[in-house]
Order: sequence, then structure tokens, then C-alpha cells
Amino acid sequence: MDKRVALFIPCFVDQMQPQVGLDTVKVLRRLSFQVEYPEDQTCCGQPAFNTGQWDSARPCAEHFVNVFKAFSQIVCPSGSCTSMVRTHYPELLKQSVLHEEAVAVGSRTFELSEFLVRVAGVSDVGAEFRHSVTYHPSCHATRELGIYDEPISLLQKVKGLDLRLMPNANECCGFGGMFSTKFGMVSSAMAETKIANIEATQAEYVTAVDPSCLMHLDGVLRFQKHTPKVIHLASILASEASL
Amino acid sequence: MSRLAEEFLVAAAQKSADLTHRATIKRNIDSYDAAVAKGKMRFVDWEAARARAAQVKSEGMHSLGPLLESFEAKIKARGGHVYWAENSEDARQYICDVAKKHDVKTVVKSKSMVTEEIHLSPALEKLGIKVWETDLGELIVQLRNEPPYHIVTPAMHLTREQIRDLFLEKMPSDVQGETHQELVAAARRFLRRAFFSAEMGISGANFLVADAGMVAISTNEGNGRLTTSLPKIHVVVTGIEKVIPRLEDLGVMWPVLATTGTGQPITTYSTLIGGPKTADEVDGPEEFHVVLVDNGRTEVLADKAQQELLRCIRCGACLNQCPVYRQVGGHTYKSTYPGPIGSALMPIFQGQQDYGHLSYACSLCTACNSVCPVKIKLSDHLLENRHKYVAEGNAKTSEKIGFSFFRWMAMNRSRYEFFGWAGRKALRVALGMGVKPEQLGPLAKWTKYRAVPEVPKESFRALWKKENGNGNR
Amino acid sequence: MAIANSGRERILERIRKAEVPQNPAIDWAIVSSDQIFEPITDPLQHFLAECEANLTEVKVTRDGKSSQNALAELLSAVPAGTVYVQDDPRLRHLADAFVGREVIWSSAGRAPEDCQATVTLCEALVAQTGSIVSSSRDGGRGGSIIPPTHIVYATSTQIVPDITTALRNAMESDLKNASYFGLITGSSRTADIEKILVQGAHGPRKVAIVLEIQ
Repeated sequence: MDKRVALFIPCFVDQMQPQVGLDTVKVLRRLSFQVEYPEDQTCCGQPAFNTGQWDSARPCAEHFVNVFKAFSQIVCPSGSCTSMVRTHYPELLKQSVLHEEAVAVGSRTFELSEFLVRVAGVSDVGAEFRHSVTYHPSCHATRELGIYDEPISLLQKVKGLDLRLMPNANECCGFGGMFSTKFGMVSSAMAETKIANIEATQAEYVTAVDPSCLMHLDGVLRFQKHTPKVIHLASILASEASL
Repeated sequence: MSRLAEEFLVAAAQKSADLTHRATIKRNIDSYDAAVAKGKMRFVDWEAARARAAQVKSEGMHSLGPLLESFEAKIKARGGHVYWAENSEDARQYICDVAKKHDVKTVVKSKSMVTEEIHLSPALEKLGIKVWETDLGELIVQLRNEPPYHIVTPAMHLTREQIRDLFLEKMPSDVQGETHQELVAAARRFLRRAFFSAEMGISGANFLVADAGMVAISTNEGNGRLTTSLPKIHVVVTGIEKVIPRLEDLGVMWPVLATTGTGQPITTYSTLIGGPKTADEVDGPEEFHVVLVDNGRTEVLADKAQQELLRCIRCGACLNQCPVYRQVGGHTYKSTYPGPIGSALMPIFQGQQDYGHLSYACSLCTACNSVCPVKIKLSDHLLENRHKYVAEGNAKTSEKIGFSFFRWMAMNRSRYEFFGWAGRKALRVALGMGVKPEQLGPLAKWTKYRAVPEVPKESFRALWKKENGNGNR
Repeated sequence: MAIANSGRERILERIRKAEVPQNPAIDWAIVSSDQIFEPITDPLQHFLAECEANLTEVKVTRDGKSSQNALAELLSAVPAGTVYVQDDPRLRHLADAFVGREVIWSSAGRAPEDCQATVTLCEALVAQTGSIVSSSRDGGRGGSIIPPTHIVYATSTQIVPDITTALRNAMESDLKNASYFGLITGSSRTADIEKILVQGAHGPRKVAIVLEIQ
């Protein structure tokens, strides 16, 4: 199989959660992938698109397509950003000269767990993480990309990991992009409902494939002084000894 | 921001903090979820059922004109009247005229969202007519003088105790106990007097069957049957989009509607009405009217991107699934139709300027898409509404500027890197100096409910460059 | 009297102008009803099981005499008061069951508000959901909704497997000319108070069928 991958690091991961990016690289290299990072990438345009500002989103999307069109496999540690490219670019760039190219790039863009399990055919990535962990199935990864089992398969193969499934897992965490600040109280209340489900498992950590969900949950968890900690799936998979 | 948007924010914040409300809604919806899960097992292939239901409604939309004409012809052949109302006022006027002509004093009403949409009851009451809601949930909210909370279960937000106290106040002589059973019996006694004395019964319609020329009404309580059987005049108020091609299509539509509506195999009374009583029948209304309401539906039909919204069969599944609805409840929307379908339709029916905020009150979780029995991609319509909202010039100036700036910045990697670095630097310095979260400008909205995030010194790309140089490995 | 309805043409014109594709651009195969529900191999058994689930009492009988007895038994549980009966030879034939009861036949008019029970025939029985197909010709519209108890006299030959079949039959028969017909499945009920299901709302609290095997 093609062992070259291009990294698509979401803008806010790049700026605010660089460790998630580094851990993604670590996991891919451990599996002998040659990792490239197209440095011209900036933002895929999702925030503008979700807010209805499509005139601002389109140029970002076209820029993305131009940056990544030369690459045969694009991997991203985020379900929502991957979904933006795969699910929404075709509609957003309907009238653009880059429309066909966008559809093609989308078909080659994968969220990390789906890349590892479906494309690379691997679920044991040689990780070790001796903690109890519960999994939050992010909305875009599941309902838009159909990624249900892959993160679970990967977590089940992590040495020493005690995986616990939370009740009502499919309910949204409440982030929703600009929704989190436009409707802060509702967003926070939704997080509270999610946190109650997390705490029902008594797990030390909650993980997900979406760093935006985790950023939001982390904020509420610490604000309300709850015990569980957040960790991105990539960071668990990158772990090689108990922390 | 429109006044309605401001009110929404206040109401939403209030409801989100109300833990009793949250618990009540959770209990109700858990019960619904369990019933629906059981109900879906009656289908060999639930996805096939959804596909078929979506197909039936699509066919209805595709041939809407001829199907409505076929329906109308059959109703008229049986001696019924069909009136095509362009808007709320047109519909109200027609119904009020019929009521006036027949000197109607009392009206009994079974469930109809369209009658709420056109604000019918106040118009009838202005004529001195007493209007009784006969669906139990609707009766309860009518007696409390508040709008329905949910399109299928209007009094979902109330406890038995609250309902008992309400009945003791409004119908004391009919109340003989306070159990659920006894409260229902009280309502039966109370409404029976209205059923048997009303001159006019008003109902909605779940489907309009084109080939048979009949109105299909699905109920459980029996109020719909009494409303459409006892009074001299029966008026059906319905949106034009309710039409389906064939009577036998109900073989799928009835079970699907009942499953996602309440988890039942079929509602107790799956009724078909074609006209007034015939000469040889022993009872039934002498006059039958069907009011076909447009009120913006043809506009939706004409919009290629959003016409699928007319497939909606008003089952309420999207409301029940919506995590936002579960927090803020039905009243917060201040619209005839709450929840995802309401947030999709109201800005189109009533204007993006006043109702566009509903489309933004959504985390785009797409749970609604996955439960809709007629496969409407509701979240796509909310995104499309947001697009229209902005395109029509309703977005805040600060937001427009913010995104224009972001776009400019994102077009050039050096610009992006610079502003990313500068933003983080400024934030770290400010936090280091003891600036409080509330003083962080736009970030204050984030930190109102969340702890301040740790701000990294270096971005991923900076760290990557350090490790890998300018090449790749 | 024709009422002016100028909006009609305008609405139809707007509908005509709208372009609505035959099959929307969504990926689904054409689905037939057979792919959706389990085929019913033993309609009678299935019907009885569904009735048990939806709390419709069914008394299975083998001839006119036992049907009469079953009907009498059901009526013995009905409180004192009038019984409204559909005026049909098949029910006149069961007259012995009404001994001791004040009977009002449907030929006299609509079911009275305070009748304690009605006895009617039906158009069909649906195995899929344990439903009764009733029409305005079976004791009027009121016969199946006014009383607290509704009793139906039916035969096993009236059972059809599913709703689709029942509706197809209706289109092909005179039933489509009745001003009302419909499916009745169990007794009236509501869950509008705290989502707790209560049997018996505005319609009958009890529905029973005397089912004669023929």
C-alpha cells in the first residue's frame, strides 16, 4: 500500500492543541508511514461555512483544495474537519472551477481512526495506556462519516486500557462551533448532560476523535471542577508506557 | 438581532439552567425512546420503511397539482366543499364565514398544527364562539393559557400534580380522583358535554388521499372521531403538502407515523373521511369542508434546495432527538413548529430576519436527520437558512468583519502564522498579567462557561519545523 | 352554493411553476411494501396474538349458537342501560343474546349519548395489527366511538393479512363510497399525562370481538 500520507492539521489544533498533531505523526511513523506536512495549509473554512458566511468559506476551501490536490492520502485527527472536506465541500464549491478537484480531494481525505482501520487495515498500533477510558462518539464522525467501530477497535487493542462505554453516548456534547458561544448556556447544559454520562462510567479519561468536542468538554469539566480528564484518541495511540 | 432572537436567548438560558425541567423532559423522552426502539422491531427493515415513506411523500410533491385536483373532485362529488386558502387570513375568513352562516356557538377542535399556524381560535373567539381543544394535551395547555410544548405531546412539561390542580380549578365537578386514570376520566366527562352540543367540529389531517378522495386522521383518544362525527359541520384544515397518491400507501405511512410519533404499531383510530353523511347513513355531519392552506408552502415547493421539507409528516421524532430541544423545551422557540423542523421552516415561512436565529440554535449534531422517517436532511436546511440569513444582510457587522478578516488571513500562510502567533502571545501575556476571563473581549463568551484553555507557546507547525526542518520525513 | 375562491388558480399556478423532480437526488432503491413487513403466514393466529397485545377481547366461537352465548356473556358485564345494535339480519339473528337488555336498533337513528354498549358488524379484520375495519354503515360513525363498550360480531372469513390488503380491498369495493371508514385498534387511550398510558379516553374503554370461525 501507499505509505505516504499528508497531514491535515486543523487550524485550532495547530494553534491550541499542537500535541494532538505531534501524537498523530508519532502513530503514523510507528506504522512506517512517511509523513508530509503541506505547510501552506491554513483553515478548511468550517467556522465560516457553519455560520452561513459562505463567501468567506469558499476561498478557504479552494485554498485547501489547491494545497492538498497533489497528495494521494490525507489524514486528519478530526472528524468534523474531515467531514467538512468530504461532506460539505462538494456543495460549497458547486459553482467553483475547482469543484471536481474538491470532490476528488475529499475522497482521499480520512479521519485518523478510519485511515488506520479501514485504509491501513490496522487496529493494534502498539500503544499502551493503563487507564480507564470512556469514548465519546462525535456527531460528525459518526453520523456524517459513518465512523462507529473504528475508534473502538483501536482502543480495544491498547495494552492495559480499560474501555467503558457511556450511556446515551450518541448525544451531542454541545460544542457545535459558533453555537458554543452564541448559545453558551445551552451549550454548557448539553455538556453537563454529557458529563453526567461520562461520570456514570467512573472512567479517568474521556476520549474522542474530535479535538473540538474535547476542547469544549475540557473547558466545562475544569470550570465545574469535575474529575475526568480529556485526551484525544491520537494521544492514547501514541502512548508507549503508562503516564 | 431581532427581538424574537433576544427573547429566545433569554428563555433558552433560563430553561437550560432549570434542572427540574431537564429531568422531566429526560424522563418523558427516555420513555419515548424505549417505545420507539420496540416499535421499530416490528419492521423487517426499518430503513426500507423510511425509504418507502420518503418515496410516497416525494411522489406526492412531484404531482402535487394533479393529485390535489383529483382529491378535490372526489370530495365535491360526495357533496363536500373544498376551499383553497392562500394564507392565514384567507383561511380564517372562510372558516369564520361558515361558522357565522350556521350561527355556530361552540366548536370542538381535534389536533391540528395548521390551525395554530393560522391563529384560528382567536378569530373564532372574537365572534363570540367558544372553542374547545379536545386533544387532552391541547386541552390542558388551553386551560393554562399557554402554547403547546410539543407537537405530539403538548403537555409534556407538566406533572400529574400540576394537571390535577388545574382540573380542580377548571372542572371541579368532573374530578373524582387524582390518579392518571381518574384525571383522564374527568376530562372525558368535561368534554363530552362539548362534543354533544357543538355545532362545528374542526380537525386537521395527517394525509390527503388523492385516489380515494379522503382525509386521513390518526388519533388515539377518540376525540378526533367524536369531533368529526357528532357536530353538524365538519371542517378539515390542512396544509396542501399532506397529499399522498394512493389509499394503499397508508399501509406504510400509518405504521411509520405511529412508530416515530409514539412507538405504536398504529394509532387506535386510523380514520378516513370522504364527505358529509350519505342519505342512507344514520349519523354524521351534514356539511363537510376541507380548507387547503398554502401560507408559504408553494414558496418552499419552488425552492429546489429546500422543497424536501414538505415531506414532513409532523411526527415529532426530530424534536425528541434534538439535544437542544431537550434542554430548552418547546415554548422557547415561540413558534408554531418547534425543534429542528420548526427551525428549518419558520425562517422560510416567516422570514429570516425575525426567525433566522432558530437555525443557529443548533449544534449541527444531525441526530434529526438520522431519525426522520421521511429522510429529510434537516441539518442541511438549517445550514442553508444560515446562508440565506447572511446573504440577506442580517448578520452582525462585527461578525461579517471578523470572518472577512479570517478569510484574508487564511489565504496566505505567512499571514496566518503571524496572526496565530500574535493572538496566542497576546492571550498568554494578558492571562499572565492577571486579566480576568470576562475581560477577554470575544473570548469572554467562551470563558463564561468554560475554564480558560492552556495557551501553547508554539504551534504545531513551529514544532514540526523544528523537528523536521523544511523537508519532510 | 359556490363560494368564490380566486386563490385556487393562483395556488395551482404556483404549484405548476415549481419544478419538483420525479425522484430526488438521494441514493435509495425503489422499495416495495413486501420488503418492509414480515409476511403473515397464519392470519388467524397472528390476529389473535395482536388482539391480546392491544387488549381487544376476542371470544372465538364455532357457530351461531355459541356466538349468541358469547355475546350474552359480554353483555352481562355491561352496566344497566341501553344497548345500541346495528340493524342487520345477522345481528337480528342473535336476538336471544339481548334478552333482558333495552335494545335500540340503528334504524331508529344514531347511538344515544348514554348508551352503555354498542353491537355492530365490521367490514374486515386486519391480522397485522389486530384491527377492526369499521365504517359509517356499521352502526353509523357513532356506533364505534360513543359507548364505553363496543362489541363487534365478525367471522374468520373477514380476516385479511395486512393494512395494505385491507385498503386495496376498500378501493375495489363499495366501501370507498362510505362517508367514513377506518381501522380501530384496541380501545381509546392517551399518554398525554406524564407519558403514562391510560386505557379509555373519549372513545370506548373496552373493545370486544365475537369471532365466529367459518
